[in-house]
Order: sequence, then structure tokens, then C-alpha cells
Amino acid sequence: MFYFELLVAGLVQGAMYAMMALGLTLIYGLLRILHIAHAAVFTLGGYVGVLAANSGLPLAAAAALAVLAAAAAGPVVYGTVYRPLLDKPPYVALIASIGLLIAMEDGFRLLFGPYGLSFAENPWFVSGPDLGGIFLNWVQIALGLSALVAIAGLGLFAVGSRTGVAWRATVDDPEIAMSFGVSPERVRLLAFALASALAGLAGFLVGLLNNLIEPGMGNITSYKGLAIVVLGGLGNVPGTLWASLLLGVAESFGTIYLDRILDRDAIAFFILVVVLMWRPQGLARGR
Amino acid sequence: MDAYLTSLATFVAINVTLALGLNLITGFCGQVSLGHAAFFGTGAYAAALVTTGGFPFAHGVAAAILAAGLLGLVVGLASLRVREDFLAITTMGAGFLFLGFVRKQDWLGGEFGIPGIQPPFAPEGMAVLAILSAILVWLASIAVRRSWMGRIFMAIARDEEAASSIGIDTARFKLAAFLLGTMSAGLAGAVYAHVVQLIVPDAFGFIQSITILAMVVVGGIGSNLGAVLGAVLLTLLPEMFRFVDTYKLLVYGGLLILVMHLSPDGLVGIGRRLLRAVRR
Amino acid sequence: MATRRLVTGLLLGTATVLAGAWIPGAGAAESIRIGFHAPLTGFAAGDGKSARLGAELAVEQINAAGGVLGRPLELVTYDDQAKPDQAVPVANKLLGEGIRAAISGSYSGATRAAAAVFQQAKMPYLSAYAIHPDITRTGEYVFRTASMGEVQGRGGAKLIGEILGRKKVVLITLDNDFGQSLARGFKEKAGDFGIEILNEYTYSIKQRQFGAIVASVKRDAPEAIYASGYFFTAGPLVSQLRAGGVRATIVGQEGYDSQNFIDIAKAAAEGVLITTALDRDSDRPEVRTFIEAFEKKAGFPADMVAASTYAAVQVLAQAFERAGGTDGAAVREALAGTRDFPTAIGPITFNALGEIYKPIQVQVVKDGRFRRYAVIDDPVLLAPPAE
Repeated sequence: MFYFELLVAGLVQGAMYAMMALGLTLIYGLLRILHIAHAAVFTLGGYVGVLAANSGLPLAAAAALAVLAAAAAGPVVYGTVYRPLLDKPPYVALIASIGLLIAMEDGFRLLFGPYGLSFAENPWFVSGPDLGGIFLNWVQIALGLSALVAIAGLGLFAVGSRTGVAWRATVDDPEIAMSFGVSPERVRLLAFALASALAGLAGFLVGLLNNLIEPGMGNITSYKGLAIVVLGGLGNVPGTLWASLLLGVAESFGTIYLDRILDRDAIAFFILVVVLMWRPQGLARGR
Repeated sequence: MDAYLTSLATFVAINVTLALGLNLITGFCGQVSLGHAAFFGTGAYAAALVTTGGFPFAHGVAAAILAAGLLGLVVGLASLRVREDFLAITTMGAGFLFLGFVRKQDWLGGEFGIPGIQPPFAPEGMAVLAILSAILVWLASIAVRRSWMGRIFMAIARDEEAASSIGIDTARFKLAAFLLGTMSAGLAGAVYAHVVQLIVPDAFGFIQSITILAMVVVGGIGSNLGAVLGAVLLTLLPEMFRFVDTYKLLVYGGLLILVMHLSPDGLVGIGRRLLRAVRR
Repeated sequence: MATRRLVTGLLLGTATVLAGAWIPGAGAAESIRIGFHAPLTGFAAGDGKSARLGAELAVEQINAAGGVLGRPLELVTYDDQAKPDQAVPVANKLLGEGIRAAISGSYSGATRAAAAVFQQAKMPYLSAYAIHPDITRTGEYVFRTASMGEVQGRGGAKLIGEILGRKKVVLITLDNDFGQSLARGFKEKAGDFGIEILNEYTYSIKQRQFGAIVASVKRDAPEAIYASGYFFTAGPLVSQLRAGGVRATIVGQEGYDSQNFIDIAKAAAEGVLITTALDRDSDRPEVRTFIEAFEKKAGFPADMVAASTYAAVQVLAQAFERAGGTDGAAVREALAGTRDFPTAIGPITFNALGEIYKPIQVQVVKDGRFRRYAVIDDPVLLAPPAE
């Protein structure tokens, strides 16, 4: 039972990592940008959600607003920060991304105060379905379901829709895709919108789970998200999901059993380094 | 000299040393490292252990350079297996691993760090020491840059596959770059530990790593003068921005974006373009 | 080109600013300047804000009452981001601006780094709430107005083992110097109060998700949990423990001491006990004045950080008065001779090391507010180290 609870706690954590890492991997796959400022979009989702909920909107509406705001912010970030840097070496976009993260984090602090914000009412956190001994609240269930839906949705979309096919074509070779009438620019905007929507939803749910929205709440998750992206085999969507869940579970057990040896936040990178030494292309096979 | 300016000069010099070291790895050799603070920390801890153990400061410096270089070799060897973006993330991982390990080690003081590190000189003396170290690393970097080794580094940075196709043993040279760069970081760590007189794990985290990388890139990646300028500017920036008080980090972040947009080759790039404009 | 002009303008602008920043501030000639550093940006900015408000409030009140030695106090404030490498230049900058004493409203790392600078300059220096044991060992010019972590940990052991009578305890320890020293003090005295420590878990300051720890605590089934943390970790921790079905008594410390903790944990916070410095239900006038004036100035209820920083300014002010001047050595003597000086965090007496003894306030969360539960006044158990 105890081990099962640890496993469940780890899977919930893994679902959160997946929501973050999926977006990072989509963006990396298309543009080869290590989008560290994704953390700020995650945090934006949290802030929009808490402000909406505390102004009296129902939680579901607040969630929708959080997702919309994040989805809108993603393409703006792409258009203003990254687009002019696409033809530059990758570290240029990386430094710009770090600058954006620092600036946005401090912007949140200046706008909403250094103490963070809490939900006035948090009904999803204090209730949950009866699962026979295991207690999971609605927020945790929503987090798990969102990750599953996101993965399934992305899979169907990539294989089954016109845009999805255009997308994969753009990933493989933007110039050829363009010659077939696909606009890589539109695909990129869409990728940023989708990735940011996922992050915004995750930020909102994590905000509910912690009942605390803080300026830097996404940072450590996005650092680990980058490790997951590499573990999953850069740009590989199913690989990213598996790596996220693996990390969540490893951290859950590590918190209890590795306590004296290694900090929990280092577990992700320990796995990363070990795996890369063994399989330099990541856990999953390259695309 | 004013105590404030003295301490400022000391930290500027330490950061110059760090930036020049990273520039050897990232600038010359094209290996983007997001974990440089780990080598800085290794140097600081090694030097602190040695001098608090009663040995002279010079031994501490030697231990710092040795320990940081050794770890640099290990990370360098590991990173031979991965390339580019994988490498950036692997070095970032090395940084987090270093921190996660140090935090839990009682013999390194754990969360409490190592206190009571006695500086060998007065603050002015430490400033001179820091500046001399920075100049030493600067001169060494210029020498490397002009040597045949520097040319090979640049070739690897430009196109690794082309370099290896003409028979260059890229692995050996990448390792050499890692070794030189991390040894400089070790030296900076030894000086830092004896200036601040206490070290805690948090001082060597990811933020420190990206700050050093930002110095290199803002100054102009691959240029020694750029690394120096970047380190001076970004160290003084928070000090200049004391007047904007709580907006400091916002401005700092915004400036990083701005420099990347206006001049991806950094301050040195701006300088070059200005010079060219003047000549014309 | 427009871009180039912009860049040149920017560089010129920064150069001007740079030059301007290096001209020492010219304040009123007759005021007594007190150096103050706190984390105003970065992750610790919340505590920095409370500390600054607390210090400013004390200065305002003292000046409204006629100042010190007939001169107004002036706070010279700089941000240190809670980083040691920022604190060293800040301390040196303060020294260059004609301060007569300094106060840290910051965390242990920055405070220890600055302490070395102030000690060397023989400048009286008070740490308001940083708890690292080595701070006062820097030298005779360094004092602290907070209880050390070890001391509070011992108080926690007495609270759980003796006052509450709970014997089976699980420790959840925050992995930094604050949490580690609390745990050290707790474990040192746990046996004396018949406490059996079932297990100890640690977590990092960045952690907000405690699923694995909650599951383990459930398995251990303790009677009480001694959990260290700050409001931003303790809030999520306590609500997740309760949501996971853990009913054991939770005991925290002054890191919890902020209304934000209750705002985060809500109903789960009810019944949580903390050992802290500020007694909300005190009827002592110096405490009441502070609590009311702070809420009026800040717009939110007082916390431990604000109270401790406020008290540090008051302690310094009385030392100036008793020294009859602002000479560093005389002020140091006066500080060292402080006996039973009443402050918002209780009467303050320094020992030979510059540490204080003061009773520990036990507060309980009741109806969404901290309320008095008990006072632990045990000079033997709570004696700080004297060397």
C-alpha cells in the first residue's frame, strides 16, 4: 500500500513534468530553441487563474482564462523574442530566453507582490473521489488526465489532421514544406500557442495544488523539463511522456530512500547523466 | 582606496576570471556549458578545506585549480559523448548534481557551508590578488588564442565535423579546453572563498552558471576582450541599478534580451561595427 | 542608424548613471545613519519587504518621539538579494556612507558575509532574524536579536514532549541552515522529554509537492510532527498532510509566522502550533503598539520578521542613548550591556557572545489568526551558547 501511494504520488508529479516538458519538446522539435522562459508562461497561467478565481469566477472559468492567456502569450513571446533570432547561433536565443525568464519573474513580483497569491476558495483541492484508501483530490486527477489527453490529442493531431501533417513536414524540412504551400511561420505560432496552453493549464493546476502562486514557481520545473526533453530524445513526444513519468516516480521514491545522499532536485540530473552516458541519444529512439 | 570600490573591484576581477575561463570552453571551442558554477564551487570548497585545515593559502590555490580541473576533465570526458544542445543540458545537470551532492555532505559543512576562512591579505591585498589572477588568465587566454591550439579550437567551434575530417583529434582538444577553462574557475573559486570568508552551496547554483554565460555572450562570445567587458558590465550593472532598487532584475533581464537582439555578437560586436562606421 | 544611436545612447546613459551612483548620498548632516540590508529582490523578497517595513516603522516612531540623542535616525537601505557576494559590496558601500551602525534584515548567508566586513571595520552590527550559529562568532561587534535555531529546536522538543505530552514524533526538516539547526536542537533534547523519533524526512526549499512525504508519514502514524519551513513551504506541506488524512499535531516554528501561511493552508492551518518571537495576545504596551502600528502601515498583519527587525532598530537606538554618542566602540559596549530592554519580541539581554535569551512564544492558529497558546520560559533549556 505504502509503495503504491509513493507510486501514485510520483505519477501525479510526473504528469506535471509532462505538461511542462511536452511544450518544451514541441518547441525544440520545430525550432531547436531551449525555451527556458516556458517557466514564466507556466507562472502566468497560475497568476491569471488565481486572479480570475479570486474575483469571483468559478474555477472552471478561471482555468479556461488561464489557458487562454498562456496560449496568447506563447506566440507573442515567439514573435517578439525568438523570431528575430532564428538565424543566429542557438546560444543567442538561449540567453534571450534566460533574460526573458528573469524579467518576467521579477515583473510578476513587482505586479503581484513578493509574498505570492493564494486562492480564496480551493474546493477542488479539499475534495476528491473515493478510490478505496488512496486519497487523490480533483486537482491531482485533473493534472493526470490533462497529461493523458494532451498526449493522446497531440498524437491524433500529428497523424490525422492536415495541420498535423504540415507540422511534421515543417519539422523534417521547412523549405520543402514551404514549397508544398505549408507556412512554417503558422506552424511555429501554433506550436507556441499549444505548448503555452499546456504550460498555462499546468501552472493553474499546480497553483491549486500548492494553493500558492509565486513569481518563480515554474523555474525548477522548467530546468527539469529541459532534462526530460533530452532524456526523452529531443523533440520526441512519447519519449518525453515516459521520461516525465519515470522522473516523477524516481523522485517520489528518492525523497524517501536517497534522502541522505542526494538532493531531490538533483535526481533528475543524475538520471540524465547516467542515461546519456549509456545512450547519448536519450531514452527513446531518435525520430 | 575606498572599501566599497575595493570590494567591487575584487568581485569584478573574480567574474572576469570566471568569464574568461568559460570563454575558453564555450567561446573558443563552441561547447556551451550551463554548469560553470560547479567548477567555481569545486575550487572554492577545495581551497577552503585546505586553508581551514591549517595549510598555507598557496596550497589552497593549488588544490582549487587541481580539483576544479579534475572535475572538468571528468565532465569533459562525459560530454564527449554528447553534442551541442545535449551538452548544454548535460553540463547544466553536472551543476545541479554538484549542488545536490555538496548539500548533503557533512564533511563539506552541508547546508551550513564552510565558515571562518581566513584571508591571507587585507581587503586591498585580496583585490590585488583577484586582479592579478584575472590578468594571468587573460594573458593565458590570449596566448591560447594565438597558438596553434587556439586555431584548432576555433575550427572545432566553427564546424566540428569538418575539423575531424581533416584529421584533428577533436576529443583531445575539447578536453584541453575544458581543462583550461575549469582550472581558471578553480582559481576564481579559491580567491572568492577567501574574500567572502565563508562559502555556502547556494552561491554556486544554476543562476551563477547562467550569469557567467551571460557575461561571455553579452561581451561577445569567443572574444577575450568581450568576456572581460561582459564580466565588468554585468557585475557593475546591479550596482549601477541600485537607484532602480526593486526594478533591478527586471532591467537586467530586459537588457539581456536587448543585447541579443541588437548585437548577438555582444559588446565587442557593437564596438567593431562602430569602428567600421567611423573608418568609413 | 537608429539602432546604433540607441545603443550609444544606452551606453552613455549607463555611464552617467554609473558616475551618479558613486557619489555618496548627501543626507541631513545631523541625522544618525543606520545601514540596513535586506533581500528586496529575488526569491527572499517577501521577507525583505517585511523586514524593511519593520525597520522603517521603528525609525518613524523613534523620530516622531524626538529621535536619538536629539538627532533623527536615518535608514540607509540596500538590496542584497540574500546573496553573500552581493552582501560584501553592500556592506562596504554602507561603510562608505557614514553609517554609525548596521542591521541585517537578511538571511544567514548574506548576514555572515556582511558580518565579516562590519567586524573588521569595528562597526556595531545586529542580525535581526538570521539564525546561523556562526554569525555572532564573527566577532565582538556582531549581535543577534533572534533566538538561534538550536534553541528554538529545544523549545519545540519541550512543547511536544512535555506541554503536549506527545511521544511518537516524525521530523520533516527543511534542508537549509535554518531547518538543520532546528532539527539539531530538537534531537539533542528529544530524549529528555521522552520523545521517540520515528523517522526524519528532509525537503529542499524549492519543493512544494510533498506526496511522498505525506505517504510516509501516514505509514509512520506519529502522534506529532515537527516540521520546519517557511510559510511558502509550510503552507503547502500542512495542507497536503491534512488532505492526505494525517491527523497528528503539527508543530512549526517562526518560519511559519506570517499571515500568508494561514492564507495558503486555510482550514488545514487550524490547530497548528508554532514556536516564535511575537505574541499576538500580549498585553505589554511595546508589543501592542507594534502590532497595531505595523498593520496600519503595511496593510497586512505583523509577522516575526517584521517584529524582529523592528526590535533590532529599537535595541540599537537605546544603545546609542546609553552610549551617549555614536562612537563605534562605545555603542558596542552599550549594546553588550543591554539588560532586559523591552521590545516587541520580549525583553532583550545579550550574553558574552552577543546572543539573547528570551522566552519562546507558542502560538496556535485559531479561526484564521495566530493566538497565544503558551510561553516557554526556561532559561536553562533555552540558554544560547556563550562562546
